[in-house]
Amino acid sequence: MNDQLLAAVSQYGAPALFGIVAIAAIGVPLPITLLLIVAGSMISQGAMNPWWAISAAGAGSILGDQAGYAIGRWGGPAVVEKIGGLFGKRASLRAAEAKAQAWGGPGIYITRWLLSPLGPCINLASGTARYPWHRFLFWDILGELTGAAVYISLGRFFSDRVMALYAVLGDLTWAIAALLVAVFLGFQLVTRLRRPLAE
Amino acid sequence: MSETWRRTLAVGLAFVVAIAGTFLFAYRVGRQVRHIRTENEPIHAWMSVPFIAHAHHLPANVLFQAIGVQPREPHDRRSVRRIARDLNRPVPDLMVQLQRAIDAAAQPPGGHPR
Repeated sequence: MNDQLLAAVSQYGAPALFGIVAIAAIGVPLPITLLLIVAGSMISQGAMNPWWAISAAGAGSILGDQAGYAIGRWGGPAVVEKIGGLFGKRASLRAAEAKAQAWGGPGIYITRWLLSPLGPCINLASGTARYPWHRFLFWDILGELTGAAVYISLGRFFSDRVMALYAVLGDLTWAIAALLVAVFLGFQLVTRLRRPLAE
Repeated sequence: MSETWRRTLAVGLAFVVAIAGTFLFAYRVGRQVRHIRTENEPIHAWMSVPFIAHAHHLPANVLFQAIGVQPREPHDRRSVRRIARDLNRPVPDLMVQLQRAIDAAAQPPGGHPR
């Protein structure tokens, strides 16, 4: 299926990009980073307008994110659980709810582009946690436009090395995620080791 | 060993695993970045002929010619899979032909490699 989506973006350009990123933002696991890199490469080849590409990718993602937020906020816990279960994300949804509460705006921003696999869960979780919609919209627009601009620009710069760049970004995301976990655990460890001394 | 120390040990082990993961993925990133400009981009069925031509710094018509396709005007952005279907030919055959044309362009007869 990924091949067909990539071929669709390659052949139909911005409208296909818009539709696919909107579906992905609701929670369907699709290779959005690769699609944005491909769009960047197509811009470099003169086959796509850069402003159209960024607008289509940004608008599609924001639309999908807003749909996710709306489901979380007005769909009720049963619908949210069902959707989470459909994509096998029930456990990560609960974790995301806690993260949405703890991280707030910066958390929404960073899960739009840097830790994007968490994005759909954070959308639903922000809705169920009743995070203020105007703030969610602000961080969502900022994050999605950042993501579209960053990945499309990278694709444009490395337009002849699309697959290699995608592999680098995949590992980079894991490296950042592991580093964040290490920082969190390191903090926990220091707190735990200090406690007996204090007592 | 008390329950508190057992938990602290678990957190410590998880911390070590997370640090190891960070270094492992950072090393992979570094290695891939070093080779990003030298390794050849593989051909995939979703790619269009102009896309493949761009990745290998060749004019698209060289590759269209190699697979015996008259490109549609103004821009033929059909994927390799779609062209194979239109021509009623297997996708791997078309990919092999494209790869041969790329290799031939990289090493012209009697000349030095590109």
